[in-house]
Amino acid sequence: MIHAENLSVSYDDVDALADVDLDVDEGEFVTVVGPSGCGKTTLLRTIGGLQEPTTGTVTVDGDPPEVAQSAARLGFVFQDHTLLPWKSAVENVTFLRRMAGKDPDPAGARDLLTTTGLDGFEDARPSELSGGMKQRVAIARAVHLGADVLLMDEPFGELDEITRDEMGVEILRLWRKNRKTVVFVTHSVPEAVFLGDRCLVVAADGDADPAANGSPGRIVAEFDIDLSRPRDESVFGSETFGAQVARVRGALHGDT
Amino acid sequence: MSVADRVPLPDATLPLAGLVVAVACWWAVTVAFAVPPFLLPSPAAVLARLVGNPELYLTNAVETLRKILVGGAAGVTAGFTLAVLVTTIPLLRRALYPYLVAARVLPKIAVAPVFLIYFGVGFETAVLFVALVVFFPVVVGTAAGLSRTPDAHLDLLRSVDADPLRTFLSVRLPHALPDVFAGLKQAVTLSVVGAVVAEWILSNDGLGALILAASENVQVDVMLAALAVLLPIGLGLYGGVLLCQRAVTWG
Repeated sequence: MIHAENLSVSYDDVDALADVDLDVDEGEFVTVVGPSGCGKTTLLRTIGGLQEPTTGTVTVDGDPPEVAQSAARLGFVFQDHTLLPWKSAVENVTFLRRMAGKDPDPAGARDLLTTTGLDGFEDARPSELSGGMKQRVAIARAVHLGADVLLMDEPFGELDEITRDEMGVEILRLWRKNRKTVVFVTHSVPEAVFLGDRCLVVAADGDADPAANGSPGRIVAEFDIDLSRPRDESVFGSETFGAQVARVRGALHGDT
Repeated sequence: MSVADRVPLPDATLPLAGLVVAVACWWAVTVAFAVPPFLLPSPAAVLARLVGNPELYLTNAVETLRKILVGGAAGVTAGFTLAVLVTTIPLLRRALYPYLVAARVLPKIAVAPVFLIYFGVGFETAVLFVALVVFFPVVVGTAAGLSRTPDAHLDLLRSVDADPLRTFLSVRLPHALPDVFAGLKQAVTLSVVGAVVAEWILSNDGLGALILAASENVQVDVMLAALAVLLPIGLGLYGGVLLCQRAVTWG
């Protein structure tokens, strides 16, 4: 579904990302984990066509990202919920679909809000919603758009730990239903392991603080997550989960 | 939108009481100290002027209002248009914006005599002056507001290849409205000042011209009567902008 080859991105004199080759299958849930400033957000933005690659190519279902954008096949969820403060939850969900030039489907938007646990909050403004609820609306907005690919950039990064775990379970439930292709960027190793079929570890060479020396981020390791699905909170206590988290942590700290 | 009930109108009782007390004091002072009317006429004398020749004040008020409305509309249109251009064309922004901000410091009143030389006395010159005075707060407010759209919102719209006009109307403009209205509120106040100054220097009619003529004849009662008419005009216009704001903005 997503294919990237020899991808590198540099802005001004900073090399953000280098030598990335990536394939994501249709319906696959891939997580990308790495420290802040390692280039994982840049990778996601490049896949989604918000960032031009300096070298290399990306295709989504065989097309360049720009084509996928025009066809509303890419659903972004950002760390910032990016809801419009003057619109209600349901208006925010339908808004992006309208902007993409697709037929409006307010009934579908309301159903979706109900299934994401926002029953009764359809007409509330973002200011009346909690952080977790706002992200639920943002996720519903991406799903309602009808995108095949969900590109999620630390969507739970600003939520508290407990809400975060709940949202993880929630997103897996939604994914089981809709079977979208998901690329999910996070700096939380447990989150990356819990959610993903596969987990990519992105880090910059050598230095522990890549943002400072400007060395580009690369995919330094890749793990298939051997946890059965469907997964829920009970996974967190399991031995396999702990072992997987330890392996990913090890790769992040360079003990491969 | 149910915004109207969120910004309550201030309770009018106390301010009205204040006004009544102030006018009563004014009256009492003129009576108690037998102040000569050419220094400070009593409220009754001012009211007598208004009632005695309502057409004079009405026709001049209409003239002043025309200048405010025509000049204001022109200034707002020009300011808004330039703000949109400046915020959509980065080159233009870098070239012009610093001057637009800096020009706010320039007292526009000082430009009136220059207008007199270039354009002469007349309605059009006065309108042009009002437009100039209104232009700056509108362009700066609107440009500031239009620059305020969060990058992530623009990314979101880019991610579905939304067309620029839709992006402007549904995201950029609503995000800008609080600043646009801040600019408009400044502009509406300045437009009244601009019209009066224009009527002193660039035009021979309107309440400004009436005040100037009355001043030359030491007719303080006429001056105060003209001011009494000018005040509700200014308040009414400001109130109109507030009502528009409440109708279209959020939170």
